[in-house]
This record gives sequence, C-alpha cells and structure tokens, in this order.
Amino acid sequence: MRSSFFRILVLALIIAGLGILSIYSSTYQKEGVWQDIYKRQALWVFLGLVCFFAAARLNYRRLWDANYLIYGIALFFLFLVFALGIIRLGAQRWLRFAWFNFQPSEFAKLAVIIFLARYFSKKSVDDISLLSGKFGIFRGIILPFIFVAVPMFLIIEQPDLGSGLMLLLVFVSLLYLTNVRLKYIIIMIAILVLPLPFFWHFLRDYQKQRLLVFLNPNIDPLGAGYTVIQSRIAIGSGGLFGKGWLSGTQSQLYFLPESHTDFIFATFSEQWGFLGSILLLLMYYLIIRQGFIIAQRTQDSFGRLLAYGISLLLALQVFINIAMNMGLAPVVGLPLPLMSYGGSSMLVTFIALGILVNIDRTRSVF
Amino acid sequence: MGRKGVLKIVIILMFAVLFIGLANLDLLQGSRFRRLSDSNCIRLIPQEGSRGNILDRNGQLIVGSRISYDVMILPQEPEQIDRALEGISRILNISPGELKSVFRKNYFSSSLPVTVASNIELKKAILLGEYKLEEPAIIVQSNPLRDYPYGTLASHVIGYVNEIDRWRLTKLEDYGYKTKDIVGFGGVEEKYDYYLRQEEGGLSVEVNHRGKFTRVLGFEPPRNGRDVQLTVDLRIQKIAEEALSGRKGSIVIIDPQNGEVLAMANYPNFNPAVFVNKRTRLIAGLFNNPASPLINRAVSSSYPPASIFKIVVASAALELRKINLATSFLCRGSMMIGSRKFSCWDVHGMQDVISALAHSCDIFFYRTGLLLGAQNIHDYALKLGLGKSTSFELPYETSGLIPSPLWKKINRFQNWFDGDTANLSIGQGDCLVTPLQAVDMVSVFANGGYLPSPYIIKSVGGVDLSAKKKRMLRVGFRRETLEIVRRGLRAVVSGSRGTGSVLSGLKVPVAGKTGTAQVSRGSTHAWFVGFFPYDKPKYAICVFLEHGGPGHAATVIARQVIEAMIKQGII
Repeated sequence: MRSSFFRILVLALIIAGLGILSIYSSTYQKEGVWQDIYKRQALWVFLGLVCFFAAARLNYRRLWDANYLIYGIALFFLFLVFALGIIRLGAQRWLRFAWFNFQPSEFAKLAVIIFLARYFSKKSVDDISLLSGKFGIFRGIILPFIFVAVPMFLIIEQPDLGSGLMLLLVFVSLLYLTNVRLKYIIIMIAILVLPLPFFWHFLRDYQKQRLLVFLNPNIDPLGAGYTVIQSRIAIGSGGLFGKGWLSGTQSQLYFLPESHTDFIFATFSEQWGFLGSILLLLMYYLIIRQGFIIAQRTQDSFGRLLAYGISLLLALQVFINIAMNMGLAPVVGLPLPLMSYGGSSMLVTFIALGILVNIDRTRSVF
Repeated sequence: MGRKGVLKIVIILMFAVLFIGLANLDLLQGSRFRRLSDSNCIRLIPQEGSRGNILDRNGQLIVGSRISYDVMILPQEPEQIDRALEGISRILNISPGELKSVFRKNYFSSSLPVTVASNIELKKAILLGEYKLEEPAIIVQSNPLRDYPYGTLASHVIGYVNEIDRWRLTKLEDYGYKTKDIVGFGGVEEKYDYYLRQEEGGLSVEVNHRGKFTRVLGFEPPRNGRDVQLTVDLRIQKIAEEALSGRKGSIVIIDPQNGEVLAMANYPNFNPAVFVNKRTRLIAGLFNNPASPLINRAVSSSYPPASIFKIVVASAALELRKINLATSFLCRGSMMIGSRKFSCWDVHGMQDVISALAHSCDIFFYRTGLLLGAQNIHDYALKLGLGKSTSFELPYETSGLIPSPLWKKINRFQNWFDGDTANLSIGQGDCLVTPLQAVDMVSVFANGGYLPSPYIIKSVGGVDLSAKKKRMLRVGFRRETLEIVRRGLRAVVSGSRGTGSVLSGLKVPVAGKTGTAQVSRGSTHAWFVGFFPYDKPKYAICVFLEHGGPGHAATVIARQVIEAMIKQGII
C-alpha cells in the first residue's frame, strides 16, 4: 500500500535529516576534513534513498532465491576482513573501497535475517504446512545457530562485540516468533548463558573493561568511563528544551568522543533537549510499529518473518545505542540507525526499509 | 497472548525504558548535569578591582592601592606548561625548578589559572605580555595591592589586610566571602571591610576538552571598593606619632564639641605593608613580640587612671553637694583610714577643691571620696563614660572597669572597705580606663557638660555619616560644678605649683590633669588629659605612657604636641 511506503519514507528522511544536522553541529568547529563530513553523510542519505527505491521495487521473493548467494557474499566479506585483520595485526572492521569504507558486519546483519526468514518458512512438500513446527532440536536450533554463529564469530573477532551480539539477539527473537518449541529455545538460552563466565576469558581487555565500566562508570572516569560520563552530561545538560542547535558545548568542544557516530544521540539530545529526544524516540517507534503492522498483515510466512526480523533489528539497535548513550547499557560499538555517521549502516538500513515496504506492496499482489 | 503480542510488549517496554531514562537525565538531574557541562567548558579568569582608599578628614590619602602584576598559567598540556614556565623563568630570572615547585604548590584544578609569580615589575610584566603571543597559556594579571605611603602612620586605626582566616570565613561566608579573599584585620580595614571591599569581576571564557581557549563568553568589570574618609587629621596624627617617638603608650586627640577623633597614635606600632609583601618572618615577629605592637592601646587596653580620676570624684562631690568651693581639708602628708595609713605624695597643707586638683592632693580626695561613698563615685564615673564601652567604631574595644561594692562582692567574694573607697578616690585599685575613655571624660568639661560618643569615620563612599552619629549625651551637671572643675583643671597648668605647669608657657591656654598610676611591677604609668584652648576648647587630648614614669613625662609630651600644632598653624 502507498501509505506504509510514504510513512516509512518520510519518517526515515526526517530522522536522517536530523542526523545530518547533528553531525554538522558536532563537527563544524573542527578543522579540515571534519567540516565536510556532513556533506558525505548527505551523500549517503541520497544513495540510501536510491537503494530504498530500488529495494522497494524489487520483489522480495527474489531474496528467497538469492538467499544462499547473499549469505555467501556476507561470509566472504567477513572472511576478507578477518584475513586482512590477521595480516595487518589489528582491529579491522571495514574494507577499503575506492573512496569509502565498507563495513561488512552491517551487511551481514541483514543477510542473516534473510537467511533465517527463509530457513524457518520452508514448507512441507506434503501439506504445505510450515516445517518449523516439526523441527526437532537439531533442525530447529542447532543447525540455524551454526549458520548464525559463523558470521557472529567473525564479527566478534573483528572485534565488534555489539554487532555480534546483535545477530544473536535477532536470532533468539526470530526463533521465538517461529513455531519452534519454546522448550528448545529455553534450552538454547540456558546453554548460551551458563558458560558466560567461561567466555569472560575470551573477551579482550578493553571489552572486559567496558563491561566493568558499565557497572560503574566512575571506576575509570578518564579512561573507559569517560565517554559514558560525558555522554550522560551531554544528554542531561540539555534539560527540557535543549541548548539549541549549534550550542552544544559537550559535543562541539570535543568533550564527548564519537559525537558524530555512536554517540550522536547524546549530541542531538544536548541540543534539542528532552522534548526533541522524545520526538525522535517517537519517530523511531513509529517506523518500528509500521514494520510490525506490515509483518502482521502479510500472509506469506517468509515475508512475515523477514518483516519481523527487520523491525526487530531496527528496534534492538535503536534501543541498545540510546541505552548506551544514557549509560543504561555497556558501551558496545553500535551505530544509531539512520543518524550515526557511516555509509554502510545508512545503506543497509535504507535497503532493509525498502524490503519492508516491498513486502507490504507485494502482499496485495498475492 | 501469542508470541507476537509478547514481542510487541517487549518493544514497547524498551521504549518506555528509554523514555524514563531520558526523563531522569533531562528533567530530574538536568540542572546537575547542566552544571557539570558548564564546569567542563567555562573558565573564569578573575580580575580584581581595587580596595577602597582610606582618607583623612581633608581628603588626603592615608592608604591607597598600587597595581602589582601577577603571572598565571592556564593549566593545559604538560609540555606546554613546561615551555611556558621556562620562558617565564628566563624573563623573571627565577630558576625553572623554583617556578615549577610554586606551580605545583598553587595548582588547584585544571580549570583554574595557577599563579606562579606575583608582584613583578611593570617592565617584566610588559615583556611577559609580549611573550604571551607565543605561549597563550600565560596570563599576566594586574592586581591592585594595598599601598601605605606613610608606612607605620596610624597603623592601629587602619589595621592591615591579609588572607581571610577560618574564623572570619565561617562568620562571613553568607556575605559572599570566599577562601583566599583578602580581608581587613583590625582597625577600619576590619570594621568597614564590607564597604572597602572590591567586587571581583572577570572574564569568562569557553575552552575545549584540552583547556584550549575557544571564545570569550562575557566580561564583568571589577568594581572598586568604596573610599572611607576618617575624621583623623593627617597633620595632627603625624605630630602625635612624632611626639610619642618610640615610647610605649598612646595619644588620642578628639574634638570635644562633637567627638571626632583627630588623632590616635600608639606605640609600638607596625608597618601594615609587611602583610602585603608576605614577609613571613616579620609577620611572625609582630605576633610574637611581647610588647604586642598589633594592639590598639588607645581602645583595646585599659589602665589604672590614677589622679585623672580625681576629676570624676571632684565633680561628683560638687554635684551631690558633699563639698563646695569653701570646703577645705588639711593635708599633712598622710592619714589613717581604718587601721591603714594612706599617704599623699607631698604635704600640701589646707587644700580646697581647686588647689587639690591643681596639686593633685590625695588627702583631699580620700576625704571627699569617703564623704561620697563608693557607690556614688562608681555612678558618676559611669555617667562620665568610664567603665563601659564608648561604642567606638574600631574593633576590639575594651570597656575598662570601675569597681563598686557589688562588683567586689560578686567577683572577689569580699566586702567593700573604706580603704577601697580611698583607693578608688585616687583612681587606684581595680579601676581601669582606656585612653579613649579618658579623653572622652575630660571633654565633658571642655564642651559644657556633654559626653561625646567618639567616632572616627566621617564618610563612606562619599556619603557623610557624621549626621548619623550618636548625639552628644547631656551629663546633667550644674553649671557651677562644671565651672569649678574647669577652674581646677586650669589651675593644674597655670598654678605655680600645678602639676602641669610645664604647659603654662604656651601661647594657647591649656587645662588638664596629670596622673601617675602605680602598678604592681615596673615603673609607673604616666597620664595627661586636658583640653585647649581653655576658653573655647577645640581639642581634647589624652597622653598615656605605659610605664612611662610620673605624670610629668606625659605632660611634656602633651606640650610637644601642642607646640607643634601651634607651629604648624593648626590651632
């Protein structure tokens, strides 16, 4: 239907526009390349729009067919990053292309959702009922988990704990939405949670540090806790109405690190205050709600799961990013969809929204 | 509810958590975070106004301010501080190590500029101002400092300035005083600190996360303190201090017609400049000196008045009609009161009240005192302003003491005897009077029966306060009494055997009374109280010398003062 198309497009554009304003405000006092960063973001938004329209036109059922290809491409890029990371002996989250950095982990999130949506909506040849209801623990949990675990492992190795855990969260919530028996899901969660203390040893030092700092930011106010403290100050000092655009001292005077990427919400909130932030939250909520509505009225189980997956991905990213800005979640490197500076996230989010719109559009054709 | 419903509720809950989190940060803790954000990026560079001047009655400067220059450093990156300190040490000729230790000592927080050298010369300040172009972390601050053009002159009246102490801070915190504020101690500086005090202004600037200056947010010009004009006449003050020249004691000269203090000199005195220059050794010397140079003896110390107290006894007796002009007593050099022998300092023969005052005959006053009774003497002493505070403006005034039978019962647990009355009649015993009270008391006989409330502040910030001062208090003596006492005081000077006859040769007729106070150890205290010119008194004077010998010594100093005043054409 046209209405969902327009609603999603308008909301996404407003949020992306606010993102550009915030990026401009946080960088306009800095010198050199920083000053052009908002223009690049504007370019990404434009390219994102192109992708959105393209995805909205492309019948999503083709994704069913291209499923393995997409998954394969995502894995290939992740392996490439992994390999380059080993060669360059350091953190490596992106691949350098001609004039931009491509972050495969963003793409992998979408690929995994498409893969899972297809996996769980396979039908029995005999009676056209969904197979997932008859899955045992191996086919219901373990096999798909292996498919999720491979990219997840590669992403966490990058190291990008946030995106890796995001995959896990999306997997668990999609499992919950399918017909897989609740017992199995609980068993899986138990298996995942119980060895957590064991996994602690595999975390990198800075990741451990961040988790500890999350529990108490003041143990290291100038180190790992600094960002959270400054971001809380930025948000809180906005007050009811905010300090006004271009008047955010926290973000403009460098007190807040990453003020244009992961902590863009703090930048925005400092300038627009409580009211502005509530409006922003409302817009995100409306987009996500639209996604759920689309999912609910879609008869096709693949489309339905895909729509749920995309909405959940958005909701979880928004929630974790903003919660981490407010110090309610540990600092993991997760961008705020549509607002944070970065091309990969922007493009993938717009593609995902385009798919969402397409699902709704194609529904009437069936 | 299906699984989808549960998931929907989970999503709504997530947004609710974000909403509550935002409300908590923005609305509940918003003001706290606002403050934190401001303290992150706003730095204040204070600029001092200058403290108000202290002027004499003719508008002559007694205490002023001069500009001193301080060098401060905005703490930024360590290597920048090191470079700046090196540059400063080159210009100021101070070793970098010393500067560094000063920096470390004065460092408070990265948000406050640190003073590394204070009180530097103008030339070097200009050089440093140029160097600032290279090292923006340097701040050259002009700072008005207290300046004392006359050194020790009137030091007790003025007081001194120093960093606020803990006791004053707790008392004055509510009035906007802060730690490290410079406030007055003693004298006018302390009592009128609130008016003299300058208001700090300053530059508020915005800095980034490295403390680097980004822009000026605002400027609040500093406000100078208000000037305080004293009733003191600088010329007379100088004369008095020169006359005292190194002798322990004090000279107070007031205008008996209105109570204005024209001079208040004390010795030992101190140079308030040592507190400005922070000469620690000298300051410690002042506090440890057994002669207590910081004490304003004229108001903060009291001494036995001795024979000047006879003025009180004489006027009380005349007023209560216990004696009159015709009353005479025979002085044979001593008399018995109870079983004790009370002696006079000489053998005077028949004495009436005028000659008894002139010769300071003790026997006459023993007898008069016994006629009066201790309570009457006490009451009349209080009427003449003794034994209680004069509510003078300078701090730490002591009230002195006039004993009475009741006082003795309460404080000494003893009965009052006639011997005590006799002692009191000649101003000995427990009786204590400050020099200011003494001059106030004698003023009553100079102005025709009014007790002045002495004051020293003429105006504050250009507003004349003399109209707001307490009126002269009518003592209510009969004309006759006043006249007789006046004649007696005149006879002290003019009489051939008067105790103050050294003053008789002056061009200006003087009246007064000497006193020699016996003390339990050491030499006697010397007193002279009086007023001049006799017919139309314009000045009342008290000269007091602590352990200065007989009253004669004080009279000689009074003569020096009056002579100098005549010579300079003041009278």
